[in-house]
Amino acid sequence: METALTKVKSEEYGGELIQLVSFNLEKEEYGINVLMVREIIRMLNITRVPNTPHYVEGVINLRGKVIPIINLRKKFDLMENDYDKRTRIMVMEVVGELMGFIVDEVSEVIRISEKEIQPPPPVVSSGIEQECMAGVINQANRLLVLLDLEKMFTADERRLFTNVG
Amino acid sequence: MAIDCEDQELLDGFLAETTELLEKLDDDLISLEKSPEDADLMNRIFRSIHTVKGASSFLGFDMLVKVTHKTEDVLNRLRKVELRLNSEIMDVILEAVDLVKTLVADIKAGEIVERDLEGTIAKLIPYLSENAVEATVLAPVFAPKEESAPAAASAAPSPAAESESASEPEPAAAEPQQAPPQPAAPQQAAPPPQPKPQPVKETPKPAPPKGGEDLADNSTVRVDVKRLDDLMNQVGELVLERNRMIQLYSDFQTGLDPTGFGDDFGKLSKRLNFVTSELQMQVLKMRMLPVEKVFKKFPRIVRNLARDLGKEVDLIIYGEETELDRSVVDEIGDPLIHLIRNALDHGLETPDERLAAGKGRTGTVVLSAAHEGNQIVISIKDDGRGINPDRIARKAIDKGLVSEEQVAAMGTREILDLIFLPGFSTKEQTTDLSGRGVGMDVVRTNIRKLNGIIEIKNELGHGSEFILKLPLTLAIIQSLLVEVEGEVYSIPLASVIETMRVSKKEFHMIGGQEVLKLRDSVLPLLRLQQAFGVSEVYSERDTCYVVIVGVAEKRIGLIVTRLLGQQEVAIKSLGKFLANLPGIGGSTIMGDGRVALIVDPMGLVGGGAA
Repeated sequence: METALTKVKSEEYGGELIQLVSFNLEKEEYGINVLMVREIIRMLNITRVPNTPHYVEGVINLRGKVIPIINLRKKFDLMENDYDKRTRIMVMEVVGELMGFIVDEVSEVIRISEKEIQPPPPVVSSGIEQECMAGVINQANRLLVLLDLEKMFTADERRLFTNVG
Repeated sequence: MAIDCEDQELLDGFLAETTELLEKLDDDLISLEKSPEDADLMNRIFRSIHTVKGASSFLGFDMLVKVTHKTEDVLNRLRKVELRLNSEIMDVILEAVDLVKTLVADIKAGEIVERDLEGTIAKLIPYLSENAVEATVLAPVFAPKEESAPAAASAAPSPAAESESASEPEPAAAEPQQAPPQPAAPQQAAPPPQPKPQPVKETPKPAPPKGGEDLADNSTVRVDVKRLDDLMNQVGELVLERNRMIQLYSDFQTGLDPTGFGDDFGKLSKRLNFVTSELQMQVLKMRMLPVEKVFKKFPRIVRNLARDLGKEVDLIIYGEETELDRSVVDEIGDPLIHLIRNALDHGLETPDERLAAGKGRTGTVVLSAAHEGNQIVISIKDDGRGINPDRIARKAIDKGLVSEEQVAAMGTREILDLIFLPGFSTKEQTTDLSGRGVGMDVVRTNIRKLNGIIEIKNELGHGSEFILKLPLTLAIIQSLLVEVEGEVYSIPLASVIETMRVSKKEFHMIGGQEVLKLRDSVLPLLRLQQAFGVSEVYSERDTCYVVIVGVAEKRIGLIVTRLLGQQEVAIKSLGKFLANLPGIGGSTIMGDGRVALIVDPMGLVGGGAA
């Protein structure tokens, strides 16, 4: 039943439908494939972990599982701000590992067709933000940056967490 | 050649049973050598080999059948007192058992390798009478029913076995042993009046001890049904307590009996505490294995070593029933072998030297295991010549591992610890047993991996003792919670030796290293606050606490702000992303749900570098 439903819809839109979770960071809107997002939680007590990259905020206890928390603002070299009541941790599975990402605000889940995704614009400045940009979604009243979190870690960083000691 | 066995379950059963039998066999054989009159022991050994033979014949493992059959015949003659047991016979039997182990290991690996059986079998032949030789050649190998071969007899004829005999082109009924799952060309080519020497043998001769050591398999667990029942009971209790808790909460919410809530909740948490600790104990017990699993291969090793080295040794084993976690059991084998080799090779003197020193000809090595609180203590003690610290020191200087000045500043204990340096060996002439460039540093690495401690007791001329203190389990540990400038860390209690409150005035500096004079030794210090980059929150205080941790043979003092107390914690991994943090071994969740990091003393002490 469900597949039939999706099919009809995708025909209607012309192209594969994907759902994105959109969130804000420094007044910009980003989107992440909903399938990657495990859950969205409010800020918790974060335990600082020594000797980690600066953007690793620490670890939290997610119902008995300890997962690392990454501050996306720090990762993207944006201005740091204080957490407020809209701050959220998006728990996602990246490279087979659960990780939490701190974002300013999670807004909604949107459906778009794959057709609407445009390739990212030619890179003006080469920051990490550009590197993990999978595309841009240009809708009438909004501009969304589609993120590919797997690209977020440099080869060095990947090596760091794939060679398990 | 891959094993073609349709009935995987049957094969697994065979491997599990055979492995178990073979493990016991080594031990039994050594005991038999000491007391050849023990008929029970003799029969048990005979039955073990017989069972292996029966089962392997049933499954069509030809090579296994051949070896076990010949071994069985020799044992049978021993049993009937047609032969007298001596160490030559025992050597041959042990060699055959090793070959069997190698073959079983091949089967376990899923790949049947052509091994040279003839060499070993040829050694067995002289101990067979005329009759026996003939019997081996002519009698069908398939175990007759009246001979009790539990595995073969109890297992119903499987489709695998049937299809094998069916596919056999020759009249299978006459020679059931001729139904191999693989084309055994040399045997089929000629009718077998004589065990035909296998023509081509490119495969190297099996290295006997290797195959045997790898045989032990801990991937499956056999759990006592009673333990399982107990566990189920405990889970039932836990469910009851949970229901009680839900009830209590809903009562509390609806405002029913709010006055008694505190009391009830207190009782409930007590019971919950009780049930969970029971449950934890039960689960822990299931993971426990008697240390016997490791110990039982030592009589064999000691026997071989003693013969090779020309020494007379009595191995005494205590406490082999002591249980410890399987993860630990898997890891302590290698270090123990090293230590035992060491005791025999370096520790014990030759019989003549012993007589000259006024001791008995036979040296004694005592291997013992015991529980001590939350640790297991394993000790390897010999009554040999002991370790000469002067010689150690000289050797270390000669090898350029330390300088004269360094040695001069060392106490006896520190000098003894030098033997743990990589590349250190006191033996002038390396034997093929101990001189392979590996040594005590391997022991140290292994013990460190387990968060264990090594101590050396030594009395020159009277022997030495190596004491290993290991945590019982690696999953749940006793830990010391400490506070470092407001942050909480947990230090595994197994590596904590002592804690002390110190005035900061007592710290000294030696060559840029902060140290503390502790009784007769000088203890290097490490400020956790600096190691972990914790920002200082407390203004300068005069006193702080020093937690002295020991990793393998090293000692170091960790400076912390406060001690919070002891707690049992479950270790949680930090995941791949944070796997390689220096000095952090994992994390745990505290009562309030916050995460506390577990300090890895090994990482702090300097890992493998030092």
